Amino acid sequence: MSTKAIQILALVGFVFLTGWAHARVPIETRADLGADFVPAPSAVAAASLGFDAILADYYWLQAVQVAGAQSAIDERVAGHLGRLVDVVTTLNPHVGHPYRFAAIWMTHSRAQVLEANRLLERAIEYHPDDWRNRFYLGFNHFYYLGNYPAAAEALEAAMELPGAPRYLPRLVARLKSQTGDIEVAAVFLRQLLEGTEDEAERAKYETGLDEIEIERKARFLDHARAAYRELAGKDIERIEDLVTGPFRVIENFPDPEPDAIPDPLRRGSFWEIEGDRIVSSYLGARYEVHYSHFGGHKGALYDEHTNLEPDAAEDTGYEHAEGEGA
Amino acid sequence: MGALLRIQALATNTFREAIRNKLLYTLLGFSFLMIASGVLLATLSYVEMDEILQDMGMSAIRFFSAGIATFVGIGLIYNEVDRRTIFTILSKPVSRSEFLLGKWAGLTFTVWLQLALMALAFAVVSGLAGAPLSSDHFLAIALIGLELMVLVAIATLFSAFTTPMLAALFTLGFWMIGHLTRDLHALSQQSDLEGVAAAGSWVFQLLPDFEVFNKTLEAVQGLPIGAGEVSLAIVYAVGYTGCTLLLGSMIFSRRDFK
Repeated sequence: MSTKAIQILALVGFVFLTGWAHARVPIETRADLGADFVPAPSAVAAASLGFDAILADYYWLQAVQVAGAQSAIDERVAGHLGRLVDVVTTLNPHVGHPYRFAAIWMTHSRAQVLEANRLLERAIEYHPDDWRNRFYLGFNHFYYLGNYPAAAEALEAAMELPGAPRYLPRLVARLKSQTGDIEVAAVFLRQLLEGTEDEAERAKYETGLDEIEIERKARFLDHARAAYRELAGKDIERIEDLVTGPFRVIENFPDPEPDAIPDPLRRGSFWEIEGDRIVSSYLGARYEVHYSHFGGHKGALYDEHTNLEPDAAEDTGYEHAEGEGA
Repeated sequence: MGALLRIQALATNTFREAIRNKLLYTLLGFSFLMIASGVLLATLSYVEMDEILQDMGMSAIRFFSAGIATFVGIGLIYNEVDRRTIFTILSKPVSRSEFLLGKWAGLTFTVWLQLALMALAFAVVSGLAGAPLSSDHFLAIALIGLELMVLVAIATLFSAFTTPMLAALFTLGFWMIGHLTRDLHALSQQSDLEGVAAAGSWVFQLLPDFEVFNKTLEAVQGLPIGAGEVSLAIVYAVGYTGCTLLLGSMIFSRRDFK
């Protein structure tokens, strides 16, 4: 056998050996390993050697991969995403979507929402004519922090900007009158749903809208129950009393599940009485507008940015949430 | 006039020599590959894909251009000394300063030519991917050309008195520091010690500030690039190149080749 033939055979052998070994090395990304170290934004910026834009892209793609690799974004992952977006927007503050991407996920604690708001304020600084960042800021203030004046202020600034939805003035008026309710939340969520194409983000908003739909139906049943009480002079004993017997106040029960759910995904939910409230077993709890459970006590809602006095806020009728929701 | 003709002749010769360097084509090939790979990278995101594609292209242009300027530039004079051709050249009525200037001009022209080719590849990839292109993109690339002009001058300076290995290390070091000087300056100004702040200011004035030529982000994000900034960048590049080449000439004129 000639030397050349031996060399070719050796080459083929090495190629197969390398391929064999490599195929057996576990393919794990940093996201799979749960590695969530993110360097300080200022350190990355200093070490970027002028390649700020491409490094920002690198960290942005990492954020997309981290979000995509998780079946659910928990508080740790959301914090990781927030730190990645902080680096992205420090390196290239002119990016658009990453600010809102962070705001979507950083909702697990009051500290996270405040951090998301800091990023959104940076977005507003660099994109003063983009109404969406102000809208997201307003949403965070309203939905997660229960701070209606701050939400109204953010939306008021967005009203006059190009492309802003026409209903914003009405939303601002409702927020200013402290009558934020599930309809305000629905308007916010519908707009957020309209503005995103990402499947995970859409699912999050759709869940929120489903919950609002069920809450609307539950409130309808609450009214029916009040009507029954007035007619019968007593409370219902069973939920069926609303549609049967001499004091039938409604024809049929509304669907305890969201109307849009396809049949194969239906869970066979039902309405049940839980004390003073009628609850769908689909959610197991009544829907509340915002997550005032941040920090475990109501006082956590009212920070230095909030103009509401705790007592005044209580008058708005919003209670602690159960933790489910959008 | 005669000096200009002699520099031109030396520059032409340097250009011919540089385009025979295989390293140039290797780096150029890699740069094309990186510019094109921006298309794949952009697909990993679901937003701002045009920006990612162009960030990648611009970064590849700057990275590989700097590589070509450094690694082709460092051997400029060493090769002439190594091959003993420098004695033939300097035995003619050519001063050492003219020799150095000719070398710098030839290599600058070479890196500008490869920059133009990379810009063309960038435009083709952007066009095919449907990413918007404006005159600001080419202005940003032209500013990279100014950065390369300064970098070639630095490579020429080190090539004038040291070995290629050391010249490569020094030139790359200057290139890295050139992109860090603003941060170093800002850090030094935060110091409570007056001496540190003053030293920081001196270092900032002395070392190149390559961020003057970095308008990649503005071009890709569609932000305006001020005419004033561009004018000042041109003046800065000419001034810094002039200083570096003058220093190089002074060192080179005292060098003993024996």
